[in-house]
Amino acid sequence: MKQNTFYILAGIVGLIEVGAFWLSVKYLMPLLISAVFIAGIVLLYGAWRKITDRQVDERATLINQKAGMATFMVFWVIFFATSLGSAVIGLGAPPFPHFPQPPDQGPGGVNESLRPLGDGPGLVNASIRAPGDGLIRLGHFGYLQLALLFLMFFLYVGFRIYYARKYGEWETDEEQD
Amino acid sequence: MHDLTQEALAHELGVTRQTILAIEKGKYDPSLDLAFRIARYFGVNINEIFIYDETPHT
Repeated sequence: MKQNTFYILAGIVGLIEVGAFWLSVKYLMPLLISAVFIAGIVLLYGAWRKITDRQVDERATLINQKAGMATFMVFWVIFFATSLGSAVIGLGAPPFPHFPQPPDQGPGGVNESLRPLGDGPGLVNASIRAPGDGLIRLGHFGYLQLALLFLMFFLYVGFRIYYARKYGEWETDEEQD
Repeated sequence: MHDLTQEALAHELGVTRQTILAIEKGKYDPSLDLAFRIARYFGVNINEIFIYDETPHT
């Protein structure tokens, strides 16, 4: 397989992933996008191994290693800092998840003291949240994770360019057209 | 002397032309394996092509 064919295949897989993500959101099936994503990566890895015109020598390997290591180090610091911030929020938040309490737990129940005196909605009913609320809030955490992963990608590209320039990737001489 | 292009040398050594160019320009220090292969290709000793530079690289 030619390297350009692989790039076309990667683009097609990317479009399928976007479609799978859309379907997952529409039908609220998180496992669908997870499974399709892993299958896509496995497919691309298999295709990548079949590329015949790929030129990887020791200098390219060194550039990739340096860029990967630098990305990992910076990402580790950012991820740790973000996780510490999240942990602070988590420690300050009430226990998780908040499942709705039954409105009547009988005499001596936890909510007994909160029962309203009248017929109107009391503190207990006011504090009941819709089922799945905790999971939805947990899902919002995925935005942060995705943002960090995109950051990792851009960090890698940046370091890749930096080390490629350092090791003469775009040097020109009299033999070049 | 050898009437050899970078592309041809790169092909003989199994590396890219950019690697040969980077070595020529002093941007990249080849591994011992590649350095020996280059020396062997030209039929000379390795220290006739490469000189150990004591100044630290950044």
